[in-house]
Amino acid sequence: MADTKPVKNWGMVIDQNRCIGCWTCAVGCKLINNEPDGFWWNRILTAAPGETTDESNDTDVAPASDSIDVPHGTFPNVEMAYLPVACQHCDDAPCVKVCPVGATFRRDDGAILIDYERCIGCRYCIAACPYGIRVFNWGDAEREPDFTVGYGKDYRTDGRLVFTPDRPVGVVEKCTLCVERIDVDEQPFCVEVCPVGARIFGDLDDKTSEVSALVTQDGATQLLPDLGTEPRIYYLPKQPPTGRD
Amino acid sequence: METPAIAPPSWRPQRLGRVGQAWLAALGLLVALGVGAWIYELTQGLISTGMRDVVSWGLYIFTFAFFVGLSAGGLIVASAAEVFGIDSLKPLARIGVLSAAACVAIAAMTIIPDLGRPQRVYNLFLHPRWSSPLIWDVLIILVYFIFAVVDLGVMTSRGRSTAGRARTLRLLAYVGLPTAVLLHSITAWIFGLQISRPLWNTALMAPLFVTSAVLSGTALVTLVVLAANRFDRFELTRATRNSLCTLMAVTLAIDLFLVGSDYLTIIWGNVPRDRAALNLILPGGSWQWLFWLEWVVGGAIPFVLLVARRARGSIGAVTLASVLVLIGVYAFRIELVVGGMLKPLLHLPPGIALGTYHATQTSFQYEGIYHPTWVEYSIVAGLMALLAAIITLGYRWLRNRDQEAPAI
Repeated sequence: MADTKPVKNWGMVIDQNRCIGCWTCAVGCKLINNEPDGFWWNRILTAAPGETTDESNDTDVAPASDSIDVPHGTFPNVEMAYLPVACQHCDDAPCVKVCPVGATFRRDDGAILIDYERCIGCRYCIAACPYGIRVFNWGDAEREPDFTVGYGKDYRTDGRLVFTPDRPVGVVEKCTLCVERIDVDEQPFCVEVCPVGARIFGDLDDKTSEVSALVTQDGATQLLPDLGTEPRIYYLPKQPPTGRD
Repeated sequence: METPAIAPPSWRPQRLGRVGQAWLAALGLLVALGVGAWIYELTQGLISTGMRDVVSWGLYIFTFAFFVGLSAGGLIVASAAEVFGIDSLKPLARIGVLSAAACVAIAAMTIIPDLGRPQRVYNLFLHPRWSSPLIWDVLIILVYFIFAVVDLGVMTSRGRSTAGRARTLRLLAYVGLPTAVLLHSITAWIFGLQISRPLWNTALMAPLFVTSAVLSGTALVTLVVLAANRFDRFELTRATRNSLCTLMAVTLAIDLFLVGSDYLTIIWGNVPRDRAALNLILPGGSWQWLFWLEWVVGGAIPFVLLVARRARGSIGAVTLASVLVLIGVYAFRIELVVGGMLKPLLHLPPGIALGTYHATQTSFQYEGIYHPTWVEYSIVAGLMALLAAIITLGYRWLRNRDQEAPAI
């Protein structure tokens, strides 16, 4: 387990130039985590290039539709980019600051986790999260077909229950950065299943890793950076198309 | 204190009248309905409410903030009378403190049905995280409730010299006023400190809560003393009534000034995420009824009633104004909580996962929708009935205690 190894400083880069909006990572996330119906820890938003990752043009182009896969703008000036959004694992996480019982906590490697056994279900963290990524167990979990899939076991870190396939009613849950996988040197499942390699995961402290090279050299940005939450999920914004004329 | 607060000489011990019995029976029924609805909610989970992951706080939280506000008024009226020597308000001190204690207790109870795991509420004391404004609020609510009970105890204690009691009360008032202001500020900071919601992150939030708390609390005290005057010959002088009207008119004006100032800041600045949220509430938006309730029904109309000399003279007009003021303040609470949640910051298709799924329907919501269910309405009605019952019985208790041996 983690305590015998040096603590990592996990980070992820999502390359919007590669993302094709196929939702494989979102569905993979649902599978590995046995998410009940109506739960999406990971969603693929349809955005305009640079939208919400770049302070200068925040919401410049209003969505043309509330449906996915519809470009923003008016023909012929249309543009579109996909923005996969799950927990941003912020270093200065509003959800951690507001949780009155310390059920949401930050692990030393940067993962923001929820203790299923301590959460009182006040949902202050949902109100505090700028990214809208938290999901509440409003009633008994329903699945169709009704059996457990994915990791399928309880997972504890420092004795705290941070994943369970059988969801307790009345608690909040969200992306765990697949702690049960990264603690045994596997990649988060969304990274593993992405068919176009748009997600790159690794140790930000390891200067030779691909993820730290992308973060430091390629002008990766964070989501809603002006809020100062310091997410450890980075995005490589979609570049304008070149060589048309 | 020279004016007897509650026991005019003509008063005789009496049994609860027909009206009183019917009133308490009706309240009892509502409380039973609320308890039944809560038991149902416990068996089903919060899926029985209209809240989902987009609008994740609803009727319980508006009502909580509203009750916290109501509790202010009483204590602030009572304490301000002592601290600033407003003699015309002194006869209301005990009713004020009674309503403060009752309202803050009910406010705390309102949070329980909102919790997904009410049986784990002890974690607030076992594992408090001090950075959370919710923990500050838990503490201040406890302190405030204990303070109000102690204050009431001193006010009704026997066997002490009048001068000694007056000194203690003045001392308590100097503690009570800042405690009340802190209670409202902390409740405001639950929202005001959050950067993630449009309309919430304003430094005006605490002043707004304190002002609207004094406003709504005074309206509640006014309604209670008017009812006591009508049904129980409670002595209500013209001077006292005028003071209450003036206090409401002034706080209403300040309240609307603060809200208006916030509106202007958002409109002039025109930051898209704030503007989009405010547009829902302004005339023409899908939640514009909140605007009209706040500015006209609970704003302009009661203001005119409270300042016009002829209207002030009429008990009916003052009653109406107090009720309208309460409606306006409640509308502000809804505007605040829901207004901040309808349009998430990352407002992009397909929206936020709902957390529930129905076949043939999408499990995402692009713009928040919230319709409270019968469970929420019933529980809130039960809590309001319980509050009314506590105030009624508390008032009778004060009254009977005076009859046995006049306290003041």
